[in-house]
Amino acid sequence: MTPMRAMVIDDSRAMRMILKRIVTKLNFEAVEAGDGKEAMDLLADMTEVPELALIDWNMPNMNGLEFVTKVRADPRLREMTLVMVTTESEQSQIVRALAAGAHEYVIKPFTEGAMIEKLALLGLVPTGANS
Amino acid sequence: MSVEVEVDESDLAEMVEQVWESYLDPEGVSPLIPTYDENQPSEVHSSVSITGSWNGHVVYASSRAAAQRAAAAFLAMELEEVSEEDMADTLGELANIVGGNVKAMLPPGAQLSLPQVNLAPEASARFPNAQRISGVYGMWEGEPVSISMWQSSTDNKEEGA
Repeated sequence: MTPMRAMVIDDSRAMRMILKRIVTKLNFEAVEAGDGKEAMDLLADMTEVPELALIDWNMPNMNGLEFVTKVRADPRLREMTLVMVTTESEQSQIVRALAAGAHEYVIKPFTEGAMIEKLALLGLVPTGANS
Repeated sequence: MSVEVEVDESDLAEMVEQVWESYLDPEGVSPLIPTYDENQPSEVHSSVSITGSWNGHVVYASSRAAAQRAAAAFLAMELEEVSEEDMADTLGELANIVGGNVKAMLPPGAQLSLPQVNLAPEASARFPNAQRISGVYGMWEGEPVSISMWQSSTDNKEEGA
């Protein structure tokens, strides 16, 4: 069976490592990008679109909200599940992200368990993958 | 115009607890033990600036050993494997997480900068016309760690120069 793929987009390498560890534990193949622009460039070269993207908000070059907006405007990428993972925790920001097309919103700091729970709600955790 | 901030020590302590629980001490065996000593030494620090409805900085400072340990915990590596870049990246993310959560408690209209990291003591930091208004100071496995908030005076035109 082909593993699902997740794109981890954050300008912090430390945070990318944490997120990568979690999705790898869930049997995803992880691809990293340091900002939204790098992620869009990587997606342009991919023949198969990742099932999931975990996206920081505050990044240089292209922020997470801009990335979500661009992905949603591209029919080729419409199947991607988009999860914002950010310190932006004001209600208005959450509403903006969801309105732009994000499926879920995780506020930093988060525990591994909380992240897995969110992904499970999105149907992205295969049975037994997080044991 | 900057407003009076209502983020106090207990709010900061709660954020710190969440950071420890999430990344630095998920097993709950080595919490940050409060010292209440705002003059405790540091060797490295990181900060984020907040502008808009409130103007100031959130600063994370610690010893190098504590920064190394934080990076090892974040990056799931051995202490000996931690590089300067790992430490800098982890320190930046810690400031970003605490700063982001502070911003969420401020009136709408505040903007958070990208983090700045300085592998030098907090005492070397220069926040023009800013005054420390609250902080959490403690020891983590015997090493000093602090998180503090600095409020800028908006009356001075040289601010941010």
